[in-house]
Amino acid sequence: MAAKVKQLPSRGGTPAEKVYLIEIFKGMAITLKHFLRNLWDNSNLYVRHYPEVQPDIPARWRGRHRLLTHPDGTPKCVACFMCQTNCPADCIMIKAGTRIDGVTEKMPVSFTIDLAECIYCGYCVEACPEDAIRMDTGIYAFTSSNREEMKIGMTEMLSLKGGFPEEEYQKGLEGE
Amino acid sequence: MTEMIKLFVNGEEVEVESGKNLIDALEKVGIEIPHFCYHPALGADGNCRMCLVGIEDGRPPVVPACKTLAKEGMKVLLDADNIKKIQHDVMELEFINHPTDCPICDQAGECKLQDYYMKYEGTESRMWVPQVTKRKMQDFGGGVIHDQERCVACGRCVRFLRQITRTGELGLVNRGDDCRVEFFPGRPINNRYGLNVVDLCPVGALTSADFRFKQRAWFLKRAESICHGCSKGCNIMVDHNKEKYEDDIIYRLRPRQNEQVNGWFMCDEGRMTYKLENDNRLEECTLAGAVRPLADIFADAERRIERATKVLFLVSPSASLEQLAAVQALAEKTGATVSAFSDGYIVKDDGDDFLIKDDKAANRAGVDLLGIAKSRTHFDNMAKEADVFINFGNDLSRSLSEEQIGRLFSDTWVLNGATHPGQLGAVMEKKVGSSIALRSWSEYHGVVVNCDGIAQKFVGGVMKNVERPDIVEMAAGLGSPATGTAAAWALVQKKIPALAEFGGFLELPAEGVKLTDNEAGK
Ligand code: SF4
Ligand code: SF4
Ligand code: SF4
Ligand code: SF4
Ligand code: FES
Repeated sequence: MAAKVKQLPSRGGTPAEKVYLIEIFKGMAITLKHFLRNLWDNSNLYVRHYPEVQPDIPARWRGRHRLLTHPDGTPKCVACFMCQTNCPADCIMIKAGTRIDGVTEKMPVSFTIDLAECIYCGYCVEACPEDAIRMDTGIYAFTSSNREEMKIGMTEMLSLKGGFPEEEYQKGLEGE
Repeated sequence: MTEMIKLFVNGEEVEVESGKNLIDALEKVGIEIPHFCYHPALGADGNCRMCLVGIEDGRPPVVPACKTLAKEGMKVLLDADNIKKIQHDVMELEFINHPTDCPICDQAGECKLQDYYMKYEGTESRMWVPQVTKRKMQDFGGGVIHDQERCVACGRCVRFLRQITRTGELGLVNRGDDCRVEFFPGRPINNRYGLNVVDLCPVGALTSADFRFKQRAWFLKRAESICHGCSKGCNIMVDHNKEKYEDDIIYRLRPRQNEQVNGWFMCDEGRMTYKLENDNRLEECTLAGAVRPLADIFADAERRIERATKVLFLVSPSASLEQLAAVQALAEKTGATVSAFSDGYIVKDDGDDFLIKDDKAANRAGVDLLGIAKSRTHFDNMAKEADVFINFGNDLSRSLSEEQIGRLFSDTWVLNGATHPGQLGAVMEKKVGSSIALRSWSEYHGVVVNCDGIAQKFVGGVMKNVERPDIVEMAAGLGSPATGTAAAWALVQKKIPALAEFGGFLELPAEGVKLTDNEAGK
């Protein structure tokens, strides 16, 4: 199939347009018109009044990571490094050690994710054989003025709770 | 030359070496027969049945490959349906009570069970009764940790300790799903080669307490090296990794097969020498106590060598042939004397009749080949006369006490090239004119000659964050005509004609070059 070519008439050739200033004021007049109209009544705007109005996000939304715990509070993570191996951004840094809380043998001593480097792909969640890491906190806004603060550690990730009811999260997993 | 014979595998003709069992013979031509219990160093035991292969028109028609000699005209079947079923069923049997701990198992990534599952089984478990549970994380002594649940009862560890070390600490007790490896009560593994069972174990039932959980196998980079722990020169694999934002660190040493030298094994002390490569390394080069760039130190030392009446160089008996030759060339040019005095590297009565040698230097034979003097009297006399003394990485503190070193060099200007602090003694090191932090053996390439006169190459794969010169670079910086490793290698070849046929040192064969007695013992 031949490509369709649509020729647009070239504009800006008339002497009045060549002066520029007239066109600039015309444009500003349009902006002013919109501004005044929306000042009077902004119900027609396709804009969310963030942050006063927060978006409604689905359970499978990939937000900030958290590490899950067993009912007794011990971390589910066994430091198998599957997530670190699978991470395309190479931003997970785990140090493993002997487990001291009596659950199996191995646990992470430190577990750091550099959120400045993370691309929020969710591969870490997919790789985990223990369902120990999820991105279901519902937290999507995360800013800082320095790089070090963009790294989140184990204690912080363990303390975060899921942002959705379990059934809803599991529903999202159907078909996987 | 070994005699070659022809046989058929799945109907295709292959040529293999005679006198070997089917597993070894076919492995050489790239055909794998899965097996657990057979190991070339331990012989066939025939207990795991994973290696069963079909023999067309054979009596019996199915045989264990580990116990069957390859014979002319044999028709081996590996892809027959009954053989595939046997392999599948043996694997299924192994997995009945296997915990499949892979996420927390150090063997994952280099585990025979994992590999064979992917290749020969690949089905879901049909078991619905609870698995038999056994003891986990059992301390077997000697730095070995045992997991009874992961064990496939192949008996390799038991046979190693009976046949090779003849200490027999382990035994297989009970039968069926209660079969397990145990040590005799109160007598855990206690010999100088115990950690080899960790390499021998085809699964994660035996792991090293030292390496445990430090790294996953697939992150490790590997460099083929030679152990510098003693003059045996065991062939090893240096497993190292540079983690993000961190330094390149060695995590473990493993033996590499070389029938001429160490077979399949290495000693436990040698295995732990990696810690020296990682820890407590010198990082800075100093001139008159202040940290200065290398070029300044070289320029200053070069001037002092020129002005001095007597200069003494001390080389390490563990330095590579290239490094020794480079220092020798520098000595020839400047009129200095070279010594390889290192009596303290010899630990009397420490060696045994297997691998460990008294001499803890990796290249003493090389020192002799290049004709470098190493006697105490020669060194003492030269040291007394010298007004400039340069140490090229010799750990003199092994041979002499601090006072002795202090007395010898009381009014001598000293340049100390060293890998670790303390090699000239703490007192002397405070007084030295200059010091240079050197690269160590895991960080450079070279050739060393072992106690049996076998010249072996090694590759240094570790790249430290701190750039350090090696001894060839240090000698070159001081004006040696051998400006690089290649030039130094050419000098080595001139002195050792047996090595002349190899272009670069990398062309040396993997099993090393056996220098004839008169070459090695010159
Ligand atoms: S979301 Fe993707 S990039 Fe971020 S940590 Fe997980 S695997 Fe790495
Ligand atoms: S994959 Fe899961 S269990 Fe393994 S280290 Fe990552 S979070 Fe922990
Ligand atoms: S022995 Fe192999 S299969 Fe068993 S848990 Fe360890 S890695 Fe997994
Ligand atoms: S511990 Fe390992 S080497 Fe020893 S019998 Fe069990 S599987 Fe074999
Ligand atoms: S390798 Fe032949 S039976 Fe085990």
